[in-house]
Amino acid sequence: MNDGTPSAPTSTHVAEPGHEVVEPSAEDFRRARQLPVEDDWYKRAVFYEVLVRAFADSNRDGFGDLRGLTDKLDYLAWLGVDCLWLPPFYDSPLRDGGYDIRDYRKVLPEFGTVEDFVEFVDQAHARGIRVITDLVMNHTSDQHVWFQESRRDPDGPYGDFYVWSDDDTRYPDARIIFVDTEASNWTYDYVRGQFFWHRFFSHQPDLNFDNPAVCEAMIDALRFWLDLGIDGFRLDAVPYLFERDGTNGENLPETHAFLKRCRKVIDDEYPGRILLAEANQWPADVVEYFGDPEAGGDECHMAFHFPLMPRIFMAVRRESRFPISEILAQTPEIPHNAQWGIFLRNHDELTLEMVTDDERDYMYAEYAKDPRMKANIGIRRRLAPLLDNDRNQLELFTALLLSLPGSPVIYYGDEIGMGDNIWLGDRDGVRSPMQWTPDRNAGFSSCDPGRLNLPIVMDPVYGYQAVNVEAQSNSSASLLHWNRRMIEIRRQHPAFGLGDFHELGGSNSSVLSYVRQTVDADGHRDVVLCVNNMSRFPQPVELDLIAWKDWTLTELTGGVPFPPIGELPYLLTLPGHGFYWFSIQPGQER
Amino acid sequence: MSAPTLDALLPALTDWLPGQRWFAAKDRTVSGVRLVGQQEITPADAVPAVAHAVIAVSFTDDGPTDRFQLLLGSRPEVSGELEHAVIGRVGDRVVYDGLADGEISRLLLSLIVSDTTVGSLHFVPEPGTEAPIVGPGRPLLGEQSNSSVIYGERAIMKLFRRATPGLNPDLELHRALRRENSREVAPLLGAIEGEIVPDDGGAPVPMTVAMLQDYAANSADGWSMALTSVRDLLAEGDLRPDEVGGDFAGEAHRLGKTIASVHIELARALGTERLGADGVAAVADWMLERLDLAAGAVEAVAAQREEIARVLNGVRAADDEGLLVQRIHGDLHLGQTLRTPRGWLAIDFEGEPSRPLDDRVRPDSPLRDVAAMLRSFDYAAFHQLAEWETGAEAPAYLQRRAQEWADRNRSAFCDGYAAIASTDPRDQLAVLRAYELDKAVYEALYETRNRPNWLTIPLRSMARLVHDTDPARGASDH
Repeated sequence: MNDGTPSAPTSTHVAEPGHEVVEPSAEDFRRARQLPVEDDWYKRAVFYEVLVRAFADSNRDGFGDLRGLTDKLDYLAWLGVDCLWLPPFYDSPLRDGGYDIRDYRKVLPEFGTVEDFVEFVDQAHARGIRVITDLVMNHTSDQHVWFQESRRDPDGPYGDFYVWSDDDTRYPDARIIFVDTEASNWTYDYVRGQFFWHRFFSHQPDLNFDNPAVCEAMIDALRFWLDLGIDGFRLDAVPYLFERDGTNGENLPETHAFLKRCRKVIDDEYPGRILLAEANQWPADVVEYFGDPEAGGDECHMAFHFPLMPRIFMAVRRESRFPISEILAQTPEIPHNAQWGIFLRNHDELTLEMVTDDERDYMYAEYAKDPRMKANIGIRRRLAPLLDNDRNQLELFTALLLSLPGSPVIYYGDEIGMGDNIWLGDRDGVRSPMQWTPDRNAGFSSCDPGRLNLPIVMDPVYGYQAVNVEAQSNSSASLLHWNRRMIEIRRQHPAFGLGDFHELGGSNSSVLSYVRQTVDADGHRDVVLCVNNMSRFPQPVELDLIAWKDWTLTELTGGVPFPPIGELPYLLTLPGHGFYWFSIQPGQER
Repeated sequence: MSAPTLDALLPALTDWLPGQRWFAAKDRTVSGVRLVGQQEITPADAVPAVAHAVIAVSFTDDGPTDRFQLLLGSRPEVSGELEHAVIGRVGDRVVYDGLADGEISRLLLSLIVSDTTVGSLHFVPEPGTEAPIVGPGRPLLGEQSNSSVIYGERAIMKLFRRATPGLNPDLELHRALRRENSREVAPLLGAIEGEIVPDDGGAPVPMTVAMLQDYAANSADGWSMALTSVRDLLAEGDLRPDEVGGDFAGEAHRLGKTIASVHIELARALGTERLGADGVAAVADWMLERLDLAAGAVEAVAAQREEIARVLNGVRAADDEGLLVQRIHGDLHLGQTLRTPRGWLAIDFEGEPSRPLDDRVRPDSPLRDVAAMLRSFDYAAFHQLAEWETGAEAPAYLQRRAQEWADRNRSAFCDGYAAIASTDPRDQLAVLRAYELDKAVYEALYETRNRPNWLTIPLRSMARLVHDTDPARGASDH
């Protein structure tokens, strides 16, 4: 187990002195069945982010696990999501929620085994659900055998796997991301007697991608999981792979070149699988991660649109569409093979890096009245508490999520309006166990409640006895049923996923209106009109729909026909925080 | 359409005019309409045919005549879509407001793009721009004093309804701002220029017929956005303006920057000068003249005439160095601003349309625009309270909230202005106050005549300006 250095236990894969570590290969495992290759599935998909640790515990140890998750696949299929995104489930000391990977080819023992994972992917595929997983390429845990070897033997095969320096002054222009906990991007290692580079926590040394062996090792890790059958990766923290003097170390050309190399492996060896970039940057910089537009995009298939999310919150508070209109107007065109990923909340805090200073102060004032709710440069709350559990706003926000350009990512538990626990450390407040039933441990686990990895939410408004899947399944008016219906409606209209986006404007600045439109290979046109009232007060709006003169509007949740579009601006009235989805269709023959 | 047949339309015009929104003299009774200018744009038998006409309208009160421009379309028959625009029948043709006809608006656009002269009419593209050929145009609804047509969210053409000799300042200033590559106005794309015989006869002089600009797609006007913010505040009651979600101060700050940029660009394009003691005295005299006019009609103004005059004379404080003047907007208020996804735009540089052209193009202090904007924030703040259930006064706490909203946004506007301009408008406090009070006095007269419910808004401000020293309160740290 131990390689002899005075450090914590590391990987089971042990290096002989001066030799490379022998790692398992995909050949050693069964493989999951595959779904048919569909080129644009990720553009139409509704994603669902699920934390293995927090979803379902099959073995009563207080930790959610892969078998528990597998047992809940019927629920997820019923909800109608198309793809699951699993944050890291790899072997890890769990000092950063698993983003500190100790072994790229091993499952965290609490979660199960690689065999359990293959069975999970196989069962998901059996239900038509795809699976993507997080992969952290930028750094490893300091307990990874590569790092242990690197610090122990500077001249060995891993000596150059990390970014080492004799002093801590290089790359002064790179900002410190975790300002709450880190004072520098360099930390001294007493074993090797040098400083190592880390863009995140000091227990997460950055890999040295200038070393070709690191690139090879990382691409082999990708192949390992792709061979087992997964549908793609969310690439964590991609802007920071390389370091260069005189730069801030973000979005460097070398980083893009390496991502193009990863994409080529996907295209050549694993068609239909995807890469989703996490690059918390302005849209104009993020589009670089889609690659060459001439080639239709030759880097990542998807990238998260980070600034959109805080702007949605701000628009509703300001009762003005402009915070959203502005950011969408600043969002460049993307290659035709590319797609944005959009979200309201995820396992990280509500990220405010991408808003200006006065807007950030404002977001703090509005949404984080308690300082404990802040984390890094963001706010750690779930969707429902952020919106004071206001059903109208929950529906409006979800309608925006499902209809703005991009593939929506739903965060587990938000479909039932789960709450958070701001008293838990770091970002654990939004990572509490899924609330399945009003029974013990919310049906998440049958273990002794004291063994739970994180406590169940128990407050009177959001606690598991009030908010759980079982109760909401039994009430057709519940938020859960509402979300399911909206996902279903979205699926019926390809324009939501594939359509172009045209904002209609309109005289009323509190109303955000847009048309999504797509034409399929057979020439069938799908046109969807979305009208959203950002104000808590009822609002009228006049829309210029003259381009669809004599066409008819059909409301999508009930199928009610609205008056045909005529010469004059189309007048609609909306209740406070109300929204409409319409299908626009050619007029009936009369 | 030859001239004699168009004369046959005059009786129908007499009936039609008072129903048009842009017809300014609604309180006067039309006694007659006379044709004073006419230029066919197409042959009279074209389908559709279109002609430009200038008419003089006289009234039963024997007061001054008003002159208006028309674009008259005609067809042998009109479809249902044009029926609402029909003026009357002349011979075998139906004559209607030409801007309602998409084919006519498309023709006008293509004439501009191809740089055409038809008789006395010049259709000129703005040098260095390329207007999109899209169409047909669609009439913009709800306009007050002019009539516009929108071309596919790409361009907008505005027909100036009042027929005024000379270059319209709206066109003049947009041309100047385009030369400065201003980002604070919608870029000018072209114009239609004609000629008119001056009121007192003589040779025809140039006149601006219409103006073509970029269309600011997806925009909303500043007035309605400000009201949204105030509505949000008043519904809250126990929260202050900086605590509610609908806070407008960020927008007001950006708006201040936009207006400062417009002033800098206008100064760069058309120059500045310093008014000496005589010039400043003329400005003060003009303010005092307006004061006496208002005092004759508004009791509350008469009662404070001396105090008001003392503040108005504050404009003479600029005597020492002289008052820096330049071309300005001249009729600035929140309703003359547009919020687009890329920021704020200023629109409508015509100046106060009721004033003579000579007055409107006279250089004036940019502080007049700033003061007018500060007045507009007061109006926005108290507008909903003025509309409070008739007779009853709004609760005192709501009035305090409204005042806080006005203070916060007025000072945010000044802060934004100062961040771009080389000076803070509040550095010339006496001059700024004089301009603001002058505007409030004018408003008191206007509201007394037109909207007595709203009279409390300028009166409240007058009282504050007379007794207070800081026109942008809440900015005492400045």
